[in-house]
Amino acid sequence: MALGFSMILGVSRSLNLAHGDLVVLGGYVGYSLWAAAGLSPVLLLPVAALALAPAALVWDWLLKRTPEPKELSSLVLTFGLSLLLQTVMRAIWRGEYRLIAESSLGASLQLGTLALNRGRVLAAVAALAVVGLLWLALTRTRWGQAVRATSIDPQAAALVGINVDGARRSTFLLALGLSGATGVLFATLHYVHPAAGVELTLMAIVLSIWAGVGHLRSVLAAGLLLGMIEALTVTGWGPGWREPVVALMLLGSLLARSGGLARGHAH
Amino acid sequence: MRSGLAALLGMGVLAAVPPALGFHPYYLFLLSTAFLLAAVASAWNLLAYAGPISFGHAAFFGLGAYGAALASLGGLSPWGAIALGGLAGAAGAAGVGLLSIRLRGAYLALGTLACAELLRGLALIWSEVTGGGAGLAGIPALPVLPWLPRVLTEGRAGAYYLALALLGAALGLFALIRRSRVGLAFAALREEEERASLLGLRPLPWTLLAFALSGLVTALCGGLYAHVVRVVEPDLVFSRHYSILPLVMATFGGLHTLLGPAAAAIALYLLSELVLHPLLPALHQVGYALALIAVILYLPGGLAGLRRGGRRAHP
Amino acid sequence: MPILEGRGVSVAFGGLSALRGVDVAIEEREVVGLLGPNGSGKSTLFNVLGGLLRPTSGEVWFRGQRITGGPPWVAGRLGIGRTFQIPRPFAGLSVLDSVLVGVTFRTRHRYRRAADRRAEAERLLGLVGLADKAGARAAALSLGEMKRLELAVALSSRPALLLLDELASGLSPKGREEVVLFYARLRERGMTIFAVEHSFGLLAQVADRMLVLDQGQIVVDGPPPAVLASPRVAAAYLGEEER
Ligand SMILES: Nc1ncnc2c1ncn2[C@@H]1O[C@H](COP(=O)(O)OP(=O)(O)O)[C@@H](O)[C@H]1O
Ligand SMILES: [Mg+2]
Repeated sequence: MALGFSMILGVSRSLNLAHGDLVVLGGYVGYSLWAAAGLSPVLLLPVAALALAPAALVWDWLLKRTPEPKELSSLVLTFGLSLLLQTVMRAIWRGEYRLIAESSLGASLQLGTLALNRGRVLAAVAALAVVGLLWLALTRTRWGQAVRATSIDPQAAALVGINVDGARRSTFLLALGLSGATGVLFATLHYVHPAAGVELTLMAIVLSIWAGVGHLRSVLAAGLLLGMIEALTVTGWGPGWREPVVALMLLGSLLARSGGLARGHAH
Repeated sequence: MRSGLAALLGMGVLAAVPPALGFHPYYLFLLSTAFLLAAVASAWNLLAYAGPISFGHAAFFGLGAYGAALASLGGLSPWGAIALGGLAGAAGAAGVGLLSIRLRGAYLALGTLACAELLRGLALIWSEVTGGGAGLAGIPALPVLPWLPRVLTEGRAGAYYLALALLGAALGLFALIRRSRVGLAFAALREEEERASLLGLRPLPWTLLAFALSGLVTALCGGLYAHVVRVVEPDLVFSRHYSILPLVMATFGGLHTLLGPAAAAIALYLLSELVLHPLLPALHQVGYALALIAVILYLPGGLAGLRRGGRRAHP
Repeated sequence: MPILEGRGVSVAFGGLSALRGVDVAIEEREVVGLLGPNGSGKSTLFNVLGGLLRPTSGEVWFRGQRITGGPPWVAGRLGIGRTFQIPRPFAGLSVLDSVLVGVTFRTRHRYRRAADRRAEAERLLGLVGLADKAGARAAALSLGEMKRLELAVALSSRPALLLLDELASGLSPKGREEVVLFYARLRERGMTIFAVEHSFGLLAQVADRMLVLDQGQIVVDGPPPAVLASPRVAAAYLGEEER
């Protein structure tokens, strides 16, 4: 999930405070399709990703128009977008807690002596696959080159003939698509509700700080670490501690890396 | 000067509203809430005047509400309790202000957001003191002031006049600051912090002062709110709304202006509650979001303070 | 004892070394010029001497106190004032308020009454010829006016030493003549000045002594005629000015 956040930050110097809300939106869309049409979660992933494409275009259009300093204005703008999304989701799904409770996912997978929840395995495999594909795309394709060049220096990229606007737009499409798919995965594991987005956003920021913007492999490692800390917190102290611990980690990470998120460029 | 006169005139008109409405409790409640939000927006604007953009004023509102509620339940008179809550908010805000030693601009804003989320989470967990998710109930009502006519101080009318007075005090404080040396220091640090410090101005104490004053006013609003509603819950008084709304209202009304934030707060809140709410009950908050998006995109002049304060390399 | 001294100042930005072991000493009431091609490190040296930038190595002393690497308000309070090559106005403030900041919060010769502070600020604006712009927004000034405001702001804290970074560049010939007059007037008042200018001729009119910086090192140090005669200057600097 943090991948999308950090790609947007890299390419447009925008901090997307509505990131978590987009993930939640993906979760709700996934839930609705699952409840209405009974689509299998594996099919839901690309569908939810596509469903967020219009939002991606809107985000790209809006964030291109924010005044300097980009970081601060985009923060304020997406704070507004976050409020907008939460309100709309509350209006549509009436603030209910939703879970994609596909029974096939609840079954456990027997691996030797290890019993694994199939939903979690699916989530982990999907996350790994996405990161792997993204890594390939960013390092091995022309598109990846364009995106990386744009995030390092948009003016220079434009000078050498890279379609900066196109790179930006496709990054937004991809990033928000990732959010949508993440939302579906999230909804198979946790209940989604309209206010859940803020915590997810904070987590995405923490991850981006830890991993440095755009470093795919470190995002993976940081994600694992964060997941473990979260799990330990919940089992050790109880679920109520999750939010304050995430907030505390954000504070600590901000203070430790006060040079700014955008300092480390993509690759 | 002219805005000062306008403010006095506006106060006078507003003071005459309750009798004109025949002390209709619903409208009085609506208006007093609007005044509280206007006072919080003015307090937010006071901090922005010194530079920092806050995403966490809910922390100060909640500290004030809980501080006052606990003191009041502990036996202190409601007035003393509200004052104590105000001090708690000021101290908490100064603590948050310490983040400015290492964080600037967008990252300081994220820091304030994290602080607000942290406090909300802690208020939910620490149930022996805060009552957890259920909150604290049974907060005593504000006593009736003996030297004023009962009809003006009792119930909703009392809350109305108190909120109006608090708004007046917040605006008065900001007007005083703008005309004083303190305001000059705030503005200089906001516009060009390094330049100001080269002239001998040490940024930290001034930034802490701005946080503390802004936190004080916001927490007083929280304390008053607690005594009007007479219950406090984490999700009510630490609600993200108290972080988002003042930002929306102050930027919409015009950053750094005296009356803009308060006027925008009252207008947006009433518009949202009286017009949008009946039309689209579930969607009425959308108005705030759209107002904020519009102001960022189309009124860059209204965001003069936001456009600066970024880091630059200087030759 | 020199009023300001930099000892072995080196600054590296990543791999690029902007200053390499610079030693400078400015005596009280001295007017020293600093020359050097673009990118030779002049502004970087000012940032270090003024407490804005911590050098990679080396020390800065002002009147017997070590001020290396700031914080900047310490240098400001001790008596260093400076202008910026690219003006950095308090954009949203009025011209008068911009000058009032230093007048109000300085540690020396503070006025208790607001009316006195205002009179002092107006006097400073008169000195640089901006009296009729007192009410304008600082951001709305022309480049020439902005440079004057830079000087007035630098003077507003009553500094004992001024670091002036290319006050004359970008100005019309008439503006440059005025800058020469400013230098002369400040010198008469006993101000210590360390000034960067691009024009050798302009600096030679006002400076007691000149330093030439090239690729982060001081290559020449002496009175103007000696500096003009130096082959290093012809090679490193004058060749560029001819272009
Ligand atoms: N903040 C900075 N970051 C990276 N490089 C810098 C920075 N400031 C200056 N430089 C580099 O240091 C060198 C000296 O710059 P400067 O001191 O501005 O030169 P001058 O004022 O003599 O023209 C230049 O190569 C410049 O690009
Ligand atoms: Mg220079």
